Amino acid sequence: MISTGATKKIESLMARYPKKESALMPALMIVQKENGNVLSKGDIEETAKLIGVTDAKAFGVATFYTMYNVKEKIGKYHLQVDTNIPATLAGAKKILAYIEKKLGIKAGQTTADGLFTLHEVECLASCGTCPVIQVNDTYYENLTVKKVDLLIESLKKGEMPDNKARSNWGSACNVLLKNRGVKDAAKLSVYKRKGGYKALEKALTMAPEAIVAEVKESGLKGRGGAGFPTGTKWGFLPKNNTNPVYLICNADEGEPGTYKDRQIMEYDPHLLIEGMAIAARALGSKLGFIYIRGEFDWIADILETAIEEAKKGGQLKEFDIIVHRGAGAYVCGEETALIESIEGKRGQPRMKPPFPAAQGLYGCPTIVNNVETFASVPFIIEKGAAEFKKFGPAESAGFRIFGISGNVKKPGAYEYPMGVSFNDLIAAAGGVDGDLKAAIVGGLSVAILKADELKDLNMDYASCAAKGTALGSGGVMVINDTWSIPELALRAMKFYAHESCGKCTPCKEGSKMTVRALQKIVSGQGTTEDLANVERLVGTIKGLTLCPVGEAFSVPIRAMVEKFRPEFEALIKH
Amino acid sequence: MKLIINGKEIVAQPGMTVLEAAKAGGIYIPSLCYHPRTGQAGKCRVCVVEVEGMRGLQVSCNLKVQDGMSVKTKTPQVLAAQKLVVDLLLATGKHDCIACESNGKCELQDAAYYLGIERAPFKYDDIHYAEGDKSAPFVRLDKDKCISCGRCVVACNNQVVNEVLDFAQRGYRTEIVCDDDKPMGDSSCVQCGECSQVCPVGAIVDVKSVGKARSWETKVVRTTCPYCGVGCQLDLHMKGDQIVQVTGTEEGSPNKGKLCVKGRYGYDFIYAEDRLTHPLIKENGEFRKASWDEAINLVASKFKEAIDKYGPDSVAGVSCARSINEDSYNMQKLFRGVFKTNNIDHCART
Ligand SMILES: Cc1cc2nc3c(=O)[nH]c(=O)nc-3n(C[C@H](O)[C@H](O)[C@H](O)COP(=O)(O)O)c2cc1C
Ligand code: SF4
Ligand code: SF4
Ligand code: SF4
Ligand code: SF4
Ligand code: FES
Repeated sequence: MISTGATKKIESLMARYPKKESALMPALMIVQKENGNVLSKGDIEETAKLIGVTDAKAFGVATFYTMYNVKEKIGKYHLQVDTNIPATLAGAKKILAYIEKKLGIKAGQTTADGLFTLHEVECLASCGTCPVIQVNDTYYENLTVKKVDLLIESLKKGEMPDNKARSNWGSACNVLLKNRGVKDAAKLSVYKRKGGYKALEKALTMAPEAIVAEVKESGLKGRGGAGFPTGTKWGFLPKNNTNPVYLICNADEGEPGTYKDRQIMEYDPHLLIEGMAIAARALGSKLGFIYIRGEFDWIADILETAIEEAKKGGQLKEFDIIVHRGAGAYVCGEETALIESIEGKRGQPRMKPPFPAAQGLYGCPTIVNNVETFASVPFIIEKGAAEFKKFGPAESAGFRIFGISGNVKKPGAYEYPMGVSFNDLIAAAGGVDGDLKAAIVGGLSVAILKADELKDLNMDYASCAAKGTALGSGGVMVINDTWSIPELALRAMKFYAHESCGKCTPCKEGSKMTVRALQKIVSGQGTTEDLANVERLVGTIKGLTLCPVGEAFSVPIRAMVEKFRPEFEALIKH
Repeated sequence: MKLIINGKEIVAQPGMTVLEAAKAGGIYIPSLCYHPRTGQAGKCRVCVVEVEGMRGLQVSCNLKVQDGMSVKTKTPQVLAAQKLVVDLLLATGKHDCIACESNGKCELQDAAYYLGIERAPFKYDDIHYAEGDKSAPFVRLDKDKCISCGRCVVACNNQVVNEVLDFAQRGYRTEIVCDDDKPMGDSSCVQCGECSQVCPVGAIVDVKSVGKARSWETKVVRTTCPYCGVGCQLDLHMKGDQIVQVTGTEEGSPNKGKLCVKGRYGYDFIYAEDRLTHPLIKENGEFRKASWDEAINLVASKFKEAIDKYGPDSVAGVSCARSINEDSYNMQKLFRGVFKTNNIDHCART
């Protein structure tokens, strides 16, 4: 059932977007929230009718994203335990097992009293504060068995306890994290007092081409993962274009091990807004979107408040920003899937060409950049490209927030110039907890490096490439020698199989097949044929898929098998 | 323009894709998700080739030909990739061709045959199969055989615009659904059978044809649909003198393969016992068999008689909706031009 209030809300959303179909995802969430956190088929049909899409479309969307509960019912408290690699390294499996025992249910089940539903979920982007449980919309971080007890007892009494978390951070550059420790920095007045919106002021006096030229000159490369030069991307917009230009900030932060963008959005939202406003000036965009992962509900609220404040404060005169919440899909970090998602569709990547700069959102020229990329722009405009280039080596200019997780003593977000040595970074994070075995340095989708390969590694594009890995999203997962690589490989592979959008065969079927083969090996039932199957799959899938997800799992799994083959072979029965 | 495929020179038209050019030149590249009417999808990834000067494998269905382009369709890397795709599809579906309706006209089977795959090498026991959907009278959906190519979805939504089908779930659990996952028979499906026509495998089949004939036993006879004025082109699949299936003629105008439920499935009437097969003339309250000439002469003389006696407006004509446009045109010509009356109408007008 959709209440009149909800109908009104949905109708105003339909009017807010350039195309009403874009309101489908937020509409489904509104309807779900007012119906006991579940979406019945009747609700889906009603929503479809309201938005004006077919039942099949709405159902396809509702079942694509994991945050929609297309079920009969769900417990009053939905306990979602992150067990992805960073969480596992922090002991999440023990927490999960403890909750299962405590509640007497398995993951996927609901307690008889209907109070709790327990699920094992994928990376919640709290890698530095793992283990983490999301209870309905609220994150509970730094969990211990004791904290779980307190949490469950409190929930049984119908109270959501305070969710304050302790998190580590540090900055050697004072740009992206400069306001991290400042009280109320999310407020416009505080941000301005700290020197904010000066860059935008300057940009508004500059010719758009001059802004693009400055960004090009700075050598800024995209911080989302692929490291594509930002100025060059901006230059791809078609000339003499008469269509609207859309600007999209990618705040999906889905890559396991990555939790850097939230540091900016939660603690310094105006830095992002200022960066986007400068980009909008440079590119002639009147409307931008921040596509934020749905689990970051409270951060989305912070952004919306900040945007309102910026509008009222006269910072966004000719540019508006819509915050679009995802609903649980890693693949929506891929820019064309993200665009489809904003259009109110299943988040499946598009075939390229055409590229978004030519034909993106609603078929119009679109530029997609990561949060950290946009947040680096105000510095470049205010201080100049030359100042920016003083950070980091020539081909990897600038600063970056590295998210360190796993087996270090002080996991956290640390801002450093590009090219910082791996050792210095780990030292900043309190040093390795135990004996270093390996690390994955650019988010889960890059090749693992063994301890000896890490010794002289610098955190820049070239140094990583020379080691056969990539800087990716700057999410560093440190693994000590208590972990079995085949087990981590299986857990990683389960993530990709869960997140495959299902559009193309090699990833859709191949990811699951790789899980099956790894599962057999890890369970001790495997044979050399299973290992050969894994190798054949990951060896062939790379470069065969429609979007980079195929590569995102074939590369890391292949590296794990190659570098830790004896561990896999030891599990195989002869 | 010209391109080289496997060392052979192929003439192609600008704008063609490599897949289309290869096909036109008689070179087979396995392909599953591409269909001329549903377009490039880039989903199956089986149509990959190598192109000189381009890095890695290229998806031939989404690659435009260029003059002088050199394409290889049988390199070890290409074959390994194609083999993996087909292995995966065979392993994750229930492809026991023997009783499958599509045996002999299945694009997956063709690809497997080309690649020399007898059965998929992956043997893991947690591969589960879905139940077939037999709820609808004319169209049957067997998800076990579905390869998620998406042709039916595009066809249902964009070709016939019935907007019934879509994909639901995601990843390896992705499936085709009618509306919000209703049995086809309870859904808004109008049983036009367009999805069945474009399905490359045996996942969507025509119920009426099941068990009637193997694909190689039939021959195709082209005709025009007798139901309405649109005049859709039909391919009758005949086993002996019996129709076992009707499909829309892909290259035939005006329908380009599309049909409605009547044209596709309503062909039983031609075998009806009480079907009229010759003219009958009623005399003294009794019908008697007559020749066409006799019947037409009789009708003509009656019209003449009426017009002579009472004037042209004493007669009127109603053209039958089941006659083709050209016949209806001639009918109004007869009334307006020859009989000199405007009393002419068509039964589908109201
Ligand atoms: C599967 C997948 C997930 C991705 N996830 C993210 C993400 O969460 N955040 C992000 O900024 N970029 C992500 N990307 C990269 C984006 O596609 C895109 O390259 C990026 O947002 C461009 O911005 P940038 O040039 O500023 O890095 C992902 C890419 C893929 C293939
Ligand atoms: S590789 Fe294919 S199936 Fe996997 S996420 Fe990308 S488009 Fe979807
Ligand atoms: S769909 Fe094709 S491959 Fe599958 S059983 Fe039928 S004929 Fe065989
Ligand atoms: S029979 Fe026609 S209406 Fe029904 S699902 Fe197939 S294409 Fe759509
Ligand atoms: S039912 Fe047939 S046409 Fe539809 S997606 Fe499956 S294989 Fe393709
Ligand atoms: S036919 Fe080219 S990807 Fe399917």
